Amino acid sequence: MNPWIAIGALAVVGVGIPLGMMAASAILRPSVPEQGKSAIYESGEIPTGTARIQFNIQYYMVALLFVVFDIETVLIFPWTVIYRSALEQGVSLGAVLAPMLVFIGILVVGLVWAWRNGAVKWVKSPRASRRKTERQS
Amino acid sequence: MLLQTQLPQWTALGPALILAITALVLFVIDSVDPDSTDSALLAGVSVVGTLAALGVAAWFLAAGTGQVGTGGEITLFRDALVVDGMSLFFTAIFTSVAAMVFVASYDYLKDRPDQAEFYSLVLLATTGMALLASSNSLATAFISLELTSLPSYALVAYLKRNRGSVEAGLKYFLIGALSSSVFVFGISLVYAVTGSLLFSDVASALGDLDQSFRGVAGIGVLMIAGGFAFKTASVPFHFWAPEAYEGAPAPVSAFLSSASKAAGFAVAFRVFVEAFPIATAVDLGIDWVLAFGILAVVTMTLGNFAAATQENVKRMLAYSSIGHAGYVLIGLAALSAGAATNGDVLGASMAHLLVYGFMNTGAFLFVALVEHWGVGRTFEDYNGLAERAPMACAAMTVFMFSLAGLPPFGGFFSKYFLFASAIGAGFWWLAAFGALNSALSLFYYSRVVKAMWIEESDGSFELTSRPIGLYAAIMVAAVGTLVLLPGFGPVIETAQTVAAALFG
Repeated sequence: MNPWIAIGALAVVGVGIPLGMMAASAILRPSVPEQGKSAIYESGEIPTGTARIQFNIQYYMVALLFVVFDIETVLIFPWTVIYRSALEQGVSLGAVLAPMLVFIGILVVGLVWAWRNGAVKWVKSPRASRRKTERQS
Repeated sequence: MLLQTQLPQWTALGPALILAITALVLFVIDSVDPDSTDSALLAGVSVVGTLAALGVAAWFLAAGTGQVGTGGEITLFRDALVVDGMSLFFTAIFTSVAAMVFVASYDYLKDRPDQAEFYSLVLLATTGMALLASSNSLATAFISLELTSLPSYALVAYLKRNRGSVEAGLKYFLIGALSSSVFVFGISLVYAVTGSLLFSDVASALGDLDQSFRGVAGIGVLMIAGGFAFKTASVPFHFWAPEAYEGAPAPVSAFLSSASKAAGFAVAFRVFVEAFPIATAVDLGIDWVLAFGILAVVTMTLGNFAAATQENVKRMLAYSSIGHAGYVLIGLAALSAGAATNGDVLGASMAHLLVYGFMNTGAFLFVALVEHWGVGRTFEDYNGLAERAPMACAAMTVFMFSLAGLPPFGGFFSKYFLFASAIGAGFWWLAAFGALNSALSLFYYSRVVKAMWIEESDGSFELTSRPIGLYAAIMVAAVGTLVLLPGFGPVIETAQTVAAALFG
């Protein structure tokens, strides 16, 4: 038997079970339309306003810094794998170590610059704090 | 074997390394004191670093590093980068433009926040350009093209509270992202049919390519040409140029329209001459020489006709820079397989880019000076400016007539050699279109001169200050434009020698 038949059967079952459950409950349950059911659910909070607002750029900055560390990891991994064998085969310590130190040094300069310029400082959104004081009063 | 035996090989990348280190030094300075607006320190460090890179490039060029006389080109990192006469020549153009822009920015950016970022972004872009001129593989070409482009997007939108600047930045970014993707898709197609990214390997693989793959190769070459057309602001990817140059701070416009354009040409020259040799390409039916011929004529005609209808001086300069891209494209359009004139044509293009680097930067910096004074942007606003600022206006007159190609200025010789070499190579129709367009360009360039010197001012503006930095940069550009007339001999000789080495 072709093994793809088993995979196809699994896919049919995988799609069929949720569809079947939804269909069964739709047939069995009573229909009680209510406004609360069609409202947006956000952890039990009552939604206020629309989603089209200006929001804090903070997460974006954190994501940018993450990219720096991400690339760093990607390049350090292969380097550590060859590090010991390169030394054993007689490559000088400087030739193995220096490029990586320079690379990390450049990233450190970038990180320190971003840190000093407030990229990781948590900026308070003036809109959010204003709303908070309004609610308290 | 001068220099190659004296210094380690990697020092051939000295100019690019100095630029990168200067950018990092600026980041360190800004980390120590993020709120500083010490323009003198920041501009000073940038100018010193750029001039050091220029000095090293000029020294290498004079000593013959990477040229035929001293053992040929120096290849580094498994041939991914190459240092030869052409890359050093272009590095000299980029660093001179960047130095003038830094000197001018000292005044233009005074009392603005985020100055260190401006200087380091320009330096990083210049590093990218220096690497772009040295790339010998499609991978390094793409990476350094991005290193040049990404800081440019941020620089165009530098005045982040100014709607025009932000709009221009967004437009530039969107078109840049589109053309980068076209470019990288072209690279992938070329890689698919040749199996290599190194220019020399691509050339030899194209030489014995199966005829059934030539369609894929042709589309790849076309897409790569599109990527370069964006960087050099040539038709059909020129739409961003007027918007970006008009909205950007004027020193950034100067930098983009002179250095960035030269960088695009630097890599285009090397890729097309070395990776897609003319004889091989024509055998495959990929006649890029003809394609560039058509693009050159369309670009120069469109740029000049659009410039003639502008009312805004900065926008006029933007279209004129498109027109000049058309002239420089003659360097790629007047080539023919194995001809002895190839080096002359390409060298004349490079020399024109050098002269253009001075005169066009100077013209945009004059616009920066006028913006600094708060005088308006249209031709009428320039009326009678010469009474108030005769020195600066005299310099602007030099730039305008030099851009038009009138005799006593540097632009005359560079255009003359460009058109003469095209005729010498048998492409008289390119030279004819170029000469016609130059004649037309005299009309709109002289409008600026007429407004400044002849028209009466309505007396509504008051020139409050004499910014030293802007004046100094404009004067340097003007002196450069003038000195390049008697000094054009060595320049064209160097350019044609290093260009001929590319075909060797």
